[in-house]
Amino acid sequence: MASIEIANARKSYGAVDVLHGIDLNISDGEFIVLVGPSGCGKSTLLRMIAGLEDITSGDISIAGNVVNDLQPKDRDIAMVFQSYALYPHMSVAENMSYALTLRKTAKEKIADAITNVADILGLSALLERRPKALSGGQRQRVAMGRAIVRKPQAFLFDEPLSNLDARLREQMRTEIRKLHRRLGATSVYVTHDQIEAMTMADRIVAMHDGIIQQVGSPVEIYDHPANIFVASFIGSPAMNFLEGTYETKDDNGSDGAGICLSDGSLVPVLHAQGATTHQAATLGARPEHITIVSDANSGLAARVDLIEPMGLSTLVHATLADKPIKIFTMDRPDYAVDSTIHVSFDMEKVHVFDTKSELRLPPITEPHPSHRD
Amino acid sequence: MTLATQTGKLPVERRGGFSKKLSGILEPYLYVSPALVLIIAVMLMPLILGLSYAFRDIRILNPFSGGFVGMAHFQTLISDQAFLGALANTAWWTFGSLVFQFGLGLILALLLNRAFLGRGLIQALVFLPWAVPTFLSGLNWAWMFNPVVGPLPHWMTSLGLMAEPYNILSDPDLAMWGPIIANIWFGIPFFAITMLAALQSIPKELYEAASIDGATTRQQFVSITLPFLAPTIAITLMLRTIWIANFADLIVVMTKGGPADSTQIVASYIFTQAFRRLDFGYASAIAAVLLVLLLAYALSVIALRRAMTHSDN
Ligand SMILES: Nc1ncnc2c1ncn2[C@@H]1O[C@H](COP(=O)(O)OP(=O)(O)OP(=O)(O)O)[C@@H](O)[C@H]1O
Ligand SMILES: [Mg+2]
Repeated sequence: MASIEIANARKSYGAVDVLHGIDLNISDGEFIVLVGPSGCGKSTLLRMIAGLEDITSGDISIAGNVVNDLQPKDRDIAMVFQSYALYPHMSVAENMSYALTLRKTAKEKIADAITNVADILGLSALLERRPKALSGGQRQRVAMGRAIVRKPQAFLFDEPLSNLDARLREQMRTEIRKLHRRLGATSVYVTHDQIEAMTMADRIVAMHDGIIQQVGSPVEIYDHPANIFVASFIGSPAMNFLEGTYETKDDNGSDGAGICLSDGSLVPVLHAQGATTHQAATLGARPEHITIVSDANSGLAARVDLIEPMGLSTLVHATLADKPIKIFTMDRPDYAVDSTIHVSFDMEKVHVFDTKSELRLPPITEPHPSHRD
Repeated sequence: MTLATQTGKLPVERRGGFSKKLSGILEPYLYVSPALVLIIAVMLMPLILGLSYAFRDIRILNPFSGGFVGMAHFQTLISDQAFLGALANTAWWTFGSLVFQFGLGLILALLLNRAFLGRGLIQALVFLPWAVPTFLSGLNWAWMFNPVVGPLPHWMTSLGLMAEPYNILSDPDLAMWGPIIANIWFGIPFFAITMLAALQSIPKELYEAASIDGATTRQQFVSITLPFLAPTIAITLMLRTIWIANFADLIVVMTKGGPADSTQIVASYIFTQAFRRLDFGYASAIAAVLLVLLLAYALSVIALRRAMTHSDN
């Protein structure tokens, strides 16, 4: 097991810069999830750690040693590919033992390791089969097994669950987490699925356009997103954004701040750090932080567009100040389409973003991120 | 499926009648009959006709020939020294050409499978020998081996491979190498292109996974590349063996089977018998033997492959 340090790593393909200076420290035994939209450079970063891709500049160290110029096989890492990349002409057992065989490990040792791993992953009955005779989920397990057998310093996963159906994905998610707890191996896991990121990570690394946007625990990223990109990418259904201006009441500074929306309605918010009065600001409110109120005076009027029952809860789509918003409720509302409802925003929970820089302006009551842990 | 058979049966049951039933049975055959007629006319008839010549005395210059002679041609064949020599030459010609065509073609494919500047152009150029008419390439190579007009004997002399420049095509011990070299040049593209196509179908991730697992380039070749290429190798080698064994163009153009029959293969011997001695009956008998030999070869290769893939699974 080992820590991984990435210092100012860059990657370009010719004139195209794909990664712009990545800094990341992954501690020993941590489960890190790299998340971001398609094409943001997650796979590229992972493959640079694996040694499958050259590092244009910067350093990557594993267990304190710079590995920039080491071959993949000398980095002592294992990787699980999205396509699984199982050797089609070898049996399950041969697939899993290939690396050990190449290292001339003793036969009995290999057999022990295979039996052990097959037990953990429930592959014991399939050891003699060829990959083509396995289901997608079973192949996925074999790919995991091939990585585990070697007891590497670190595991790298590139979207390992994206070829599975929803139910199996959910099941494998928990299994990978359990496996990680059991083996305690440093893991870097790439996904574009924010639910996987939320449920599996010790820390999430949110990436966009080759730049790390934010690093933090799932709850931290969810509750205190650094900018509009992270706020919109993490969370499903996604956060609502309403553009307007940041206003303060001059007479009483202590409790008078709000976002003035395009239709002139005012949503009260906490005073934001570094915000100036009248500046362009965006209100960010998660669907669960908007409530439908019966009292017309204590809420803003919105028009119902669609009611979406989701079993556990219901999602109400509505239009507020000409912008579509989504409201999450545990009730079972039966509003008619186009009827008017009144909504109120949870002042403590909503966010204020600087529209221009897209950065979040945290409330003055919140400690600075660098002082928080 | 069940629906189709039901609707197919229904009208027969309803209307009954013998002629209706008969036309129901005949109908599918009538649909395929144009194709059947075509196959019989252009493939089966010539084959049977050609084989029947083997049992007849057909000499173009003899107006009284044409009679049935039974196995006489085959009896002559068994003791025909020229034919037995041609059989041995065929084996030499076929496997000499095949080994080098395949080996060099595979190496070329492996080289072309890497990314480098101008790869597209080189790939197109590699195909070129294949596009040259065999008659032309035969003439060209014959000239190249001729010390009067060609450079090869002079080069070989400078390299010390030859005491003095002379034409290897006129040396009974070496003459076979002339057409073989021309054939290697001609056949490399076939293997290079087919192997390259097979190589490009191998997923890159397999090599990446193997390099992480610690496999060297050679180990990756053995445990990934070769198993992937195996089916293509098996089928192309079999096809080419039959093809080359039957392929007399280069020999006929370059040496005409000489000197002293030293480059005569069965296919060129058939050509000589038919179009120089004008003995079509005897030529057909030789062709029949060649057909049987190649069929036996093909069947044994297919059986071998089936046995191998079965033990594989
Ligand atoms: N060989 C290459 N040449 C040029 N550009 C490349 C090459 N490989 C990747 N890229 C570019 O690098 C960027 C990052 O690619 P990468 O595969 O890391 O994305 P990703 O975040 O893994 O996306 P996905 O979620 O779709 O897998 C993409 O814009 C891609 O077009
Ligand atoms: Mg990717």
